[in-house]
Amino acid sequence: MKRTLPIVIVFACGFFMIIAFFIPLRGFQDVSQTLQNWYIGVIAFFVFIGIFNLVKVNVDKIQRRLRDWQYNVILLIFLAIMMIAGFVGRPGGGVFLYLFENFHIPLGATMFSLLAFFVASAAFRAFRARTPEATLLLIAAVLVMIGRVPIGYYIWHGFPDLVEWIMTVPNTAAKRGILFGADLGLISMALRVLLGIERSYMGGGKE
Amino acid sequence: MNILDRLVKFDRRILFVFVALAVIIPLLIPIGLPVDITRPVKHVYDRVESLPEGSIVVVSVDYDPGSEAELYPATEAFLEHCFRKNLRVYMMGLWPAGPKLGNMALEQIAPKYNKEYGVDYINIGYRPGGPVMLVSLGRNVADLVRTDYAGTPIDSLPLGRAVKSARDMDLVMTLSAGDPGVLHWIIYFSARYGTPIATATTAIMAPQQYPYLSSRQLIGLLGGLKGAAEYETLVERKARAVAGMDSQSIVHLLLVAFIILGNMVLLYQRRKK
Repeated sequence: MKRTLPIVIVFACGFFMIIAFFIPLRGFQDVSQTLQNWYIGVIAFFVFIGIFNLVKVNVDKIQRRLRDWQYNVILLIFLAIMMIAGFVGRPGGGVFLYLFENFHIPLGATMFSLLAFFVASAAFRAFRARTPEATLLLIAAVLVMIGRVPIGYYIWHGFPDLVEWIMTVPNTAAKRGILFGADLGLISMALRVLLGIERSYMGGGKE
Repeated sequence: MNILDRLVKFDRRILFVFVALAVIIPLLIPIGLPVDITRPVKHVYDRVESLPEGSIVVVSVDYDPGSEAELYPATEAFLEHCFRKNLRVYMMGLWPAGPKLGNMALEQIAPKYNKEYGVDYINIGYRPGGPVMLVSLGRNVADLVRTDYAGTPIDSLPLGRAVKSARDMDLVMTLSAGDPGVLHWIIYFSARYGTPIATATTAIMAPQQYPYLSSRQLIGLLGGLKGAAEYETLVERKARAVAGMDSQSIVHLLLVAFIILGNMVLLYQRRKK
């Protein structure tokens, strides 16, 4: 029962939602809407699970005094500060907004700006034309990198049009192929889950 | 030891210094490179231009502070265009931090055009649920939206009462940095309800949107900071994105130089063997 009931629920809800997509009758749409509202409510609870998991992982690192455990303490302190500021202050304002605008935004932007330096290092060390395919990729990458910024237009007015052709023709063709493959795989996986063949979501393996 | 032998072994922090200088110097001493306008950006601009006054544009702020540098300028430029055309803005977000960032842009731009909250624009805040939420939103907004971002009952605001379903939305602009984002708007909203979708994405996501541009599931695309700079140029609001173009141009040239140098080292190592 412990393993059968979840499979029955997944099968029933999943196939009902598929059928409801094609049947515009009010009864089907109302039940479909109710199920969707339940889903949204359940998703909101995932925020709490995320916070709980974050606290558990960091407390564990602090207790075991792993490397740089002091940063885990700082993380938990700021988590608590933001939560208290959000609960105590007025929605969308006050201390929470101050902390968001003056700490969270600049720090988040700074973290991502570090990527620029790592890309520069990768450009020197890893972007090497070791094979004919890699050479083709590099040539396309160099053309797009120059054509995508104003200096490309400044060097030659036709550069942006060349880059647009690369994006619209070979890039689109390749992306479409990848999307078709990925989506067929997704449909296959969804059917396996609906039919109970794939049960990894329960913590078990395949049939 | 010749120069290529030195390049094999040198400290990569020297590269970091070059990148830092390439970013800082053009910001302090602008070059003023002209910004060309590409077709995907022009399509977004033309669509907004074609909307009659009073049309409702949903602006979905689907990014977090990590992508703020690329997408916030696009947010401000797009809002500027909407308010200049007297369009009504219905802001929301699929990411928790998105509506707060969007609110910052609203507070900058709306007062310039004497726009009134609740009448000309509204922010309903973060809505969890991704694709399922979008399906419900398009069918019946009241099922999901009871209050706005600040907790005000949505029915007490004229614009809140005006938007009941996807039929009332004339255009959706999603400023998207990942998942959930533009793909969900296309699949779960536009495909179902027919509302046209435009998007501004980070530069790394932009190539992935071309199949949807080609099939007209997206009406236009602002790709990265360059896309934002193009839109700022079109709406005659030269701000952060245009200012960043000189630095971006120099850094891109620098990266190309690094690639060429790295391949020269590779050729040299192969010859040595």
